[in-house]
Amino acid sequence: MTDTRTAGNVARQLNELMPGSAVSLQMSVDSYLDVMRGVLDMYAGKRDMDTIYVTATISFEAIKRVMAALDIDTSRVYFVDCISHIMMGTEAAQKDERASLVESPTMLENIMLKVEYLMRRSQSKEKLVVIDSINSLAIHNNNWILSEFLHILVSGLRAKDAYTIILSVEEHSTPEIASMVNLVCDSGIRAAKEE
Amino acid sequence: MPPRTGERERCVTGIDGLDTILYGGIPRDNTVLLTGSCGTGKTSLALEFLIHGAVAGENSLFISVTENSEKLLANIIPYKFFDRDLIKSGKLVFIDLPAMYERLGMTKAEMTMEEIDLLVAAIGNLAKELGIRRLVMDSITSVCYKLKTPEKIRDFILKLSKTLSDLNCTSVLVSEIAAQSSAYSTFGVEEAISDGIVLMANLERRGDLLRTLQVIKMRGTMHSRAKYVLDLTPMGVLLVPLLKGGSSAT
Repeated sequence: MTDTRTAGNVARQLNELMPGSAVSLQMSVDSYLDVMRGVLDMYAGKRDMDTIYVTATISFEAIKRVMAALDIDTSRVYFVDCISHIMMGTEAAQKDERASLVESPTMLENIMLKVEYLMRRSQSKEKLVVIDSINSLAIHNNNWILSEFLHILVSGLRAKDAYTIILSVEEHSTPEIASMVNLVCDSGIRAAKEE
Repeated sequence: MPPRTGERERCVTGIDGLDTILYGGIPRDNTVLLTGSCGTGKTSLALEFLIHGAVAGENSLFISVTENSEKLLANIIPYKFFDRDLIKSGKLVFIDLPAMYERLGMTKAEMTMEEIDLLVAAIGNLAKELGIRRLVMDSITSVCYKLKTPEKIRDFILKLSKTLSDLNCTSVLVSEIAAQSSAYSTFGVEEAISDGIVLMANLERRGDLLRTLQVIKMRGTMHSRAKYVLDLTPMGVLLVPLLKGGSSAT
């Protein structure tokens, strides 16, 4: 179901990062599942780190289903779900200890607060924060506030030696979004299917 | 954060974001007005201030005016750092002011100047007897309704502040204001007498309602005057800066 070479490449490049690094992970729509496997299974899973997964694209429930189908262990993944509330589908998140709801992707401060809360709660030595995705957040927020959000969030995580991965989807990206992400990231990874 | 040379000793609130805003905490013995409309998190923040104090070994007193202590405790956020043994050991004490009024025979709707002195003395004696270093009164507004006149309110707050300050007690007076109020207190007197004002509010931005906190004044220390967004969590009050980019909200 996933291309393990692509996933392996993503994990290999992530393994070279220094603590506190922020990385821009560009992908095409059809390599999303490979990226999931590379980040959550082959990278975070192997290093026993807690992952805080900020989802603004699809609900945490849908992501969990995808991961279950891929046989990826999600027991150390904590979700900040910014989408279920606006879809009026909060029941599952309210019952799941590992899911925190943000009412809307426009409440960027509340995303930072939920990430901070989960960071404090985590007992893991190494921590990873994944933003999925900058394109989805850009649908709901203007570039100024989004840029400010990324700057404050990433700076705070860097100070705590946490790793940050900002996902962006090539097909939906713009030069402004790319520039905003590049400004706060130390490096970039492009996940493309191996020919 | 250790106090800078020449600065006053701090009462570390234990609320990380607030201590950062205040450059290390509330200057010891200050009387702070914690003000805001309903649902902004005043009581939770005040309680957390006391719990952190009690955990750090400082005897702490919560004087409840409007809500019964039992009910208050039943609705407390399940803080990870809160242990009910703090209450059993006497480190954290809850007193209902209506019960104190009754004991002191203050049954009338309006207090006299003599009764104000009696009440301040009773609170002071209690704080002294229990060795209280942190005190919260929730809310001062409810007490002010029994005082009626600005002169009596001024007299009460000044005397209470002095009594507590002399006992090396840092106090937080919770004040209730209307949602759209531009003043920091209902009677306009409380804000002028307090050493510090912490304003909690609801900020509406494009249909989203954010809880905010802003330190308006704090005698004896430098402090940030920026607005912060807060969340009430089992790990305590968390704060992040209010984002400004592209926002048309005030």
